[in-house]
Amino acid sequence: MEKVIEIKNLSKVYKNGRGIRDISLDIHRGEIFGFLGPNGAGKTTAMKIMTGLVTPDSGDVKILGHSILENFEGAMEKVGCIIETAESYPYLTAFENLRQFARYYKDVDSKRIEEVLEITGILKYKNEKPKKFSLGMKQRLGIAAAILSKPEVVILDEPLNGLDVEGMIHMRNIIKDLAEKEKTTFFISSHLIHDVELTCTSIGILYDGKMLNVDTTDNILKNYVSLENYFISEVERNGRI
Amino acid sequence: MAGFKAALINELEKLYRKKKVIVAAIVSLMFIILGQLSITVIRSGFGIRGVSSTEFPLLVLSVVVNTILPLFTALVTIDSFSGEFSHNTMKITITRPVTRLKFFAAKISSIFIFVLINLTFVMIFSTIVGIIFNSNSFTLQGIIRILVSYLVTLIPMTVLALIIVLLTNILNSGISVFFVTILIFLLFKGLGIIFSSYSSLLFTSLLDWYKLWITSNISILKIFRQFMIMLSYDILLFTGAYYLFDKKDF
Repeated sequence: MEKVIEIKNLSKVYKNGRGIRDISLDIHRGEIFGFLGPNGAGKTTAMKIMTGLVTPDSGDVKILGHSILENFEGAMEKVGCIIETAESYPYLTAFENLRQFARYYKDVDSKRIEEVLEITGILKYKNEKPKKFSLGMKQRLGIAAAILSKPEVVILDEPLNGLDVEGMIHMRNIIKDLAEKEKTTFFISSHLIHDVELTCTSIGILYDGKMLNVDTTDNILKNYVSLENYFISEVERNGRI
Repeated sequence: MAGFKAALINELEKLYRKKKVIVAAIVSLMFIILGQLSITVIRSGFGIRGVSSTEFPLLVLSVVVNTILPLFTALVTIDSFSGEFSHNTMKITITRPVTRLKFFAAKISSIFIFVLINLTFVMIFSTIVGIIFNSNSFTLQGIIRILVSYLVTLIPMTVLALIIVLLTNILNSGISVFFVTILIFLLFKGLGIIFSSYSSLLFTSLLDWYKLWITSNISILKIFRQFMIMLSYDILLFTGAYYLFDKKDF
């Protein structure tokens, strides 16, 4: 299968000693990759490097064959993302916010903007400003922005933050649908382990800045009762819990 | 160039929607009206001629260039950088298919366009007010003098804007940037008075360089020298500020 994301020997250590060390990982087309790890393990750092928000100390990330260090525009052309929090400009309406993002892509018009607002269930709020939005609505707007350009790769850091149960199910269905029909590749981090189990097709565990293991969800569930058991067992093996 | 164009349109839209341009226009208009009222009062109260219709816009410029224009340039620049750093909205564009250099250049271009719009607005309204209240001696040469004066004032303002951009990439808080900018402005003004022979090297003295363009004996060499000083400032400040912006983690 075609490699869509290639992470090679990626390292970034902050002054406080936290960060990631020598991470290597390949993600293939159509995969929904779940990035699991305790708080401070380095998930967000890795995702920030992948999206150009942070420069690595060493190593590289290639997205669809383009290095983020050498050809950032090429690498990000078919990528949508939410990193940490879904940010938007509070003084622009939901529609205007998406129009700002749309200008970076060739084929995104008003019709497509309305389509993603419809998909994420916030079309009726399109003329409202996000400063009046709840956390869940802001998150939906963030997801709408991430899938706006029909990206081949979507990187989502805690995409279900602030969503209610209905919202979580809705988002899970959107992700699964896009992966299945459009062959969109997802790279998702979440602390909601049950949701990762239900959504992701492969799982990677990051602990203390190091990649412990990568396996498919099916394989994991053959050997463990739940993803939670697998996670605890992997982390335990590496000296914690 | 597509990325730069998209980023520039976005930056201009943000500027417009934050209503900074409208506030700048209203304050500038009030400034012009107050200026004209003072002249009318002086004229009727003391019997002094005041200014002619073509001199009024230049009088307004001499005041504006040292007061509200640097103030609005500072506010817009701080908002564009420090504001976005603190609201965490910088990452919205950084994670899009546009390089940091293009994004940075688009932000700076939008600030320059804002300054140009502000100057144009003040020029048009001060000229109209000048015609209405001082209906004498309006010539084509006078109009050209006004046009050139306002247009060339953009160049020293780019230096000021880039100094502020550099500061926003060094200091975290927008308020700190604002006060440091005021301190630098006052310090340079003071240095310009104390070391008057070196004042042409200080950007605060260059704010009045439009006067070189409208004197009866135009010195091309002096204009060229001051232009090169400002260009050097611009290149150094742009490079320094971009270096810091590029190294920043979000």
